[in-house]
Amino acid sequence: MELTIAHLYPDAMSLYGEYANITVLRRKLEALGVEAAVREITFEDAADLSGADFIYMGAGTERRQKAVLNAAASLGARLKAAVEDGAVLLFTGNAMETLGASVTDAAGKVWPGYGLAEFTTVETDRRDPGDVVAASLLWDTPAVGFMNKCSATHGITSPMFSELPLGFGNETEHGPEGYVSGNVFATHLTGPVLVKNPHILDFFVRRLFAVKGWVCPEALPELPHQRAAYEVTLRELRARI
Amino acid sequence: MRLFLAAVVCRLLRFIGRLVGKGSSLPGKYALKICPDVLGRVKLPPCVIAVTGSNGKTSTVEMIAAILRADGKTVVYNEEGSNQIEGVTTLILCNSTLGGKMTADVLLLESDERYARRSFRWFHPTHFVITNLYRDQLTRNGSPEWVYNAILPALHPDTTLVLNADDPLVSCFARGRGRVKWFGLDECAVSTKEHHGVYHDGARCPACCGRMEYSCYHYEHIGHYRCADCGHHRHDADFSVTALDLESGTLTIDKETEISLAFKSIYNVYNILAAWSVCSLAGADKAVMARVINNYVLKNGRMVCFTIGSHHGTLLTSKHENSVAYNTNLGYIAQRAEPCEVLIIVDAISRKYFTGETSWLWDIDFNQLNRAHVKKVILCGKYVNDLAMRFDCTEIPGEKIVCCDTVPQAVQLLEGDGDAALYVVTCFSDRDKLLNLAKREG
Ligand SMILES: [Zn+2]
Repeated sequence: MELTIAHLYPDAMSLYGEYANITVLRRKLEALGVEAAVREITFEDAADLSGADFIYMGAGTERRQKAVLNAAASLGARLKAAVEDGAVLLFTGNAMETLGASVTDAAGKVWPGYGLAEFTTVETDRRDPGDVVAASLLWDTPAVGFMNKCSATHGITSPMFSELPLGFGNETEHGPEGYVSGNVFATHLTGPVLVKNPHILDFFVRRLFAVKGWVCPEALPELPHQRAAYEVTLRELRARI
Repeated sequence: MRLFLAAVVCRLLRFIGRLVGKGSSLPGKYALKICPDVLGRVKLPPCVIAVTGSNGKTSTVEMIAAILRADGKTVVYNEEGSNQIEGVTTLILCNSTLGGKMTADVLLLESDERYARRSFRWFHPTHFVITNLYRDQLTRNGSPEWVYNAILPALHPDTTLVLNADDPLVSCFARGRGRVKWFGLDECAVSTKEHHGVYHDGARCPACCGRMEYSCYHYEHIGHYRCADCGHHRHDADFSVTALDLESGTLTIDKETEISLAFKSIYNVYNILAAWSVCSLAGADKAVMARVINNYVLKNGRMVCFTIGSHHGTLLTSKHENSVAYNTNLGYIAQRAEPCEVLIIVDAISRKYFTGETSWLWDIDFNQLNRAHVKKVILCGKYVNDLAMRFDCTEIPGEKIVCCDTVPQAVQLLEGDGDAALYVVTCFSDRDKLLNLAKREG
C-alpha cells in the first residue's frame, strides 16, 4: 500500500516543529504497512498536487503567509481539484487563513485567499500566544496544543472545534475554532498538532484509509509515548481552566 | 518639580527596597506615575548604549561595562537585568542628581526585545547593538519576525546601529538607514558549506521570501548569505573576526588583535565581537579592550560541576523554548572524546509563567548525541514522554535511552550505574531540582 503526501512550502511555513506532523503520520502509516512518499513543494516548484492523497501546510510568520498567498495565486484551483479528486487536506496555524476568501493584514491591505471557503480573516497588531484545550464533535477526547495568532477569522459555520475551554477561537475567546468541510480540515493550532494529539493522528489515518478504499483495522497501533505525553499535557492544561 | 519629586521617591523606594530585598522595578514604576515623561527630562550622559537580541545580551553588556570601566569611564548599567521601562527608570534616577542629571560617562542598557519601544520613547541611545534574532520563547515572543517588528519602531534615526552582519534578519534593520556599523565573522575553520539543524530559518529571505544562497554557515542560519531574488545580502563588516580556532580557543580581530577565549563557543565569539565593536565606536583604547577581553570569564559563566554517585557531572544550562541554546550544549557534548552519559530534564518549561508547550523540542537537533562515546541518554521530568517521542525520531539507538518520570528517580538510577562522565542539559527552571540532590564541587 502506498500513498503520497504533499507538504506545501516547508521551508517558508515552518514556525516551529511543523515537520513533525509529517514525521509521525508517516510512522503511523508505516506501522500499518503503508509506505508514504513525501513531495515537498517550494515556491520554485510548479505546485504539482496530482496524485496527492494528503496535503499539508503549516504555520508561518505573517510575512511568509503573504508571500505564500502572493507566490501561489494559482494554488487555489489546484487545491480545489485535488480535493475533488479525493485528497485529504490539513492546514494548521495561519495556513488555515489562506483557505478562505481573503486575509486583511494589519496595515489594511486585502490579500485574496485560495477560496476553498467563504471565511475572511483580519489581522490585528495584538498577539496573544497561548495554550489551548479544544473540544470537538469529531473526537471523544479534547485536543491540546498551542496557538500563536494575531487575527480573527469570520464567517465560519462549520468549525473543527465546537468550543475552546482554554484558548481563543476563530472570533472569540472560548468560541468555536477551525474549519471543516468534507475532506478539508483547518485549525489555528500551531506546530506539531498530530504529535500532541494521538486521536487526531488516528482520525487522519482512518480518513486516508477510507479515501484509498483500504480496510482499516479496528484498533490502530500506538506510537510509543504519544498517549502518555498527551495525557500529561491535558492534565496540566485542565488544571489551568 | 515633578522630576525632583520623582527622583526623591524613586531613591527612597530603592533604599527601602534594598533593605527588604525587593526588586528594582517598583521605584521606577512610582516615579513614572509621578512624572510620566521623567525619562525625557533627565540629562543623560553623552554615550548611551543599548543592547538587545535573542541570546547573549547579558554577556555582551557585562563585557562592554568591563572594557569601558577599564578604559577609565564611569559606567551605569542594569546589572540586575531589569530591562523594562520601570527598571530602566529606577536605574537612571538612582544614578542622577536630584536635579535630574546623570553623572556617569556611559549609560549602558540591556534592553528587552519586546519592550524596547516603551523604554526608548523618551530618549534614544547613541549606539544600539543588536546581537541576533532567532526562535526563542515563542510562547511569549510569537516569532523572530514579530520581535523584529517590535524593535524596529524603537530605533531612532540618530542612533548608530551596531548590527550582526551575519544574521539575515538583524541586517534588515539597516534598510533605509544611514548610521550603521557591522560586525561579523569571516569564513573560517568553524564555517561549513552545508546547513546543520532540523529547521533552517535562513532558507528564505526575511525581506522578500526569495531563495537564499549561503557561501558559508557559521552556525544555524548565521553566515554569509545573499537572496537570489531581491539581493538582500551580508554586508562587509566594519569589525571582523578574521581568524578563529575554537579548539585552541583563539580568535583574531581585524587581522591584528589576538584574543584567547575562556569559553570556547561560537556564541562567546559573537558576544566578544559585539562588545569590541561598540567599545571601539565609543572611543575605547584597543590595548585596553584586548587586555580586558582576553580570557574574560563571565560572572555566570563558570561551569557548575557536581557529583552523583560515582559520576562526575557537569551542568550545561540551556534555555527551554530556545533550540539554539540547546543545540550549543548538545554540540559541546558531541565534541567530547571520553565515554559519557547525558541527562536531559524537562519538568517546568518556564520558571516565570505556565505553559505546556513542547513544540520547541522538535526544533532541537538531538541527533547530535548519536555518537559512540555517548553511552546512555536519560530523559526525565514531567514532559519525559514528549522527550521520548522526540528521541524516537532521531537515529540514536533505542537501547541507549532511559526514561524517568522525576528527577529523584533519575538521580537514583545514576547513583547505581557506574562512573562515566555525566552531562546534564536543562534550564534555569529545572536545574536546582537536580543540584539539590547532588554534591557540589568547587
Ligand atoms: Zn530577498
